[in-house]
Amino acid sequence: METQPEPTPVVEMRNIHKNFAAVQALKGVDLVLHHGEVLGLVGDNAAGKSTLMKVLSGAYIPEEGEILIDGTRVHFTDPLHARRLGIEMVYQDLALANNLDITANVFLGREAVTRRAGPFGVMNSHHMELEAQRLLDRLKIDIPSVRLLVERLSGGQRQAVAIARAMAFNSKVIIMDEPTAALSVAAISKVLDLVKELKAQGASVIIISHRLEDIYSVSDRLMVMRNGRKVRDHHIEESIDDFRERVVAYMIGARDDFAAETSLVPG
Amino acid sequence: MSFKEIIKKQQHNIREYGMYIAFLVIIIFFTITTKGLFVSPRNIGNLVNAMSYIAVLAVGMTLVIVIRHIDLSVGYLAGFLGAIAAISMKYWHVPVFPTILFILALGTIAGLGTAFLVAKMGIPAFVATLAGWLGYRGALQLATRSTGTIIIDNKIFNALGNDFIPDIPDIGFLSGIHKVTLLLGIFAIFLYINSEIKNRRKTQSYHFEVLPRNMFALKLFLISLVIAVITWVLAGYQGLSWAAVILILVVIIYTYITTRTVVGRHIYAVGGNPEAAELNGIGVTKITFIVFGSMGLLTALSGILYASWLRSATTIAGAGMEFDAIAAAFVGGVAVAGGVGKVSGSILGALVMASLTNGMNLLGWDISIQYIVRAMVLAGAVIFDVQTRKAAK
Repeated sequence: METQPEPTPVVEMRNIHKNFAAVQALKGVDLVLHHGEVLGLVGDNAAGKSTLMKVLSGAYIPEEGEILIDGTRVHFTDPLHARRLGIEMVYQDLALANNLDITANVFLGREAVTRRAGPFGVMNSHHMELEAQRLLDRLKIDIPSVRLLVERLSGGQRQAVAIARAMAFNSKVIIMDEPTAALSVAAISKVLDLVKELKAQGASVIIISHRLEDIYSVSDRLMVMRNGRKVRDHHIEESIDDFRERVVAYMIGARDDFAAETSLVPG
Repeated sequence: MSFKEIIKKQQHNIREYGMYIAFLVIIIFFTITTKGLFVSPRNIGNLVNAMSYIAVLAVGMTLVIVIRHIDLSVGYLAGFLGAIAAISMKYWHVPVFPTILFILALGTIAGLGTAFLVAKMGIPAFVATLAGWLGYRGALQLATRSTGTIIIDNKIFNALGNDFIPDIPDIGFLSGIHKVTLLLGIFAIFLYINSEIKNRRKTQSYHFEVLPRNMFALKLFLISLVIAVITWVLAGYQGLSWAAVILILVVIIYTYITTRTVVGRHIYAVGGNPEAAELNGIGVTKITFIVFGSMGLLTALSGILYASWLRSATTIAGAGMEFDAIAAAFVGGVAVAGGVGKVSGSILGALVMASLTNGMNLLGWDISIQYIVRAMVLAGAVIFDVQTRKAAK
């Protein structure tokens, strides 16, 4: 199909199958994510998008299929393994500890230590605070102090902290599950700016969202899933209205020509 | 910065300051009503010895409540371990130091057993430790059935809960003053001021906000003054007791662990949001074992201090101690919902409750009234806590 050699994608998932008891959640899904690309991922409820992202972040182990990171085959055993390879997930409920400050949340589970005495690693608090502040500045996140407890932040600020945490360790791929759900309009535009900022700084991003206008405004490419299959994978070129109409048609199954187009999946 | 702004900035600390103020009020009230008897060196010495075994439990309980659990078994476990210590020295003729190590190990194992029930078997801590409460009560009765109260006659063991640290011999001046205590007090003030200034400089160098200069100086002065007064009062009597030294060591070690180490951070993360902690690679099971293990260790220490203080192991030792420890933790600002609570707060809570009991005893108040007053203080502290937390949001 391709005549010129393309650079190796940062993530490539091939023919991923995942079953839950008798339910086939993923029936052979392919996914490609290029360096510095923002990929939108949409689908109706139970289309398999969250399952696919959990496979990519190491939370689920697929029955079949392979995952390549920068062209190398990997077998994730758990989320920490995926994270070590540079894949970070921002969960919908953000997975923040509200009783701790911003610095503690950014470094949660990955605290910097000055010395180790058996199980008692002594934290390098000043280093972590400084790094957290630097990170917020770099991502242009406007929060007065990294010493603020997360419970004192607004919804948009919390989302920003969760995204900043995903960026803290030079990750290659950031997966966001509904980052704009339950946010005010002003906060949504800030989060979308943040996604653009991540892209500008070289990260590759996958966004799951029900809000098609958000996907439209930040994504380079869109992938639609339905009933555990990929039903569309295309660059975003059209106007927002055409885009919305077409995407909805694929989401609800009014159009289903992906398999025929590429003839990769039988039937 | 105006005073009002400072107050606003410090709002999250208000409940903490509120507790110090409440403690001060209690001290002043009892000092006046007992005509100074309450703050006499002898009474303060007694007070510290009588509260140490509760305070030690309260430190462990703080972490247990922080990770959203509770431990009802610690009272009778402490009593049971105290009885085993007595039996070990008296009937098994084991020397005192191996006995202490043995008891500490036994307590830790008991704590890990609780953790196993909670973390591995999935039994709610309330139920698991209620079973412990019953079981250790029975074990204590079994251990003391043939002998009744066991009198402990080991001098070193009994010194822990009753005696004072030795002093250097008289050198001609400051006679009648406990010089080692005085030196330790001066050393503590020096350490405190040094670490505060160092911390402030470091914070400033990172361009983070610090207290205004005059407020900082005032804080340094007040806390140094408190240490100085306590030191002077204690040094004027017989100096620091061993129980006080043990308690201070426990507080220093646990404050360090909870504020400076990775394990401490993880304990609070698990308390704040267990799911988030797990997703970030923090083993909730592991933390549960560490926290209940430490609770068991401190319970053993508490049992040793209590038996030593009484110079005996009784058939009802430890009864109700768990509730005193839990009350101390809640008065000290530990949140029932988990994730919030400082070691220093719980110690203060234990001090407040012990001071109340002690002061009311000195005044000869009826025991029934004492319970009601303590109930009101406990409820009042938690109401204040909830309200200030609400206001801060």
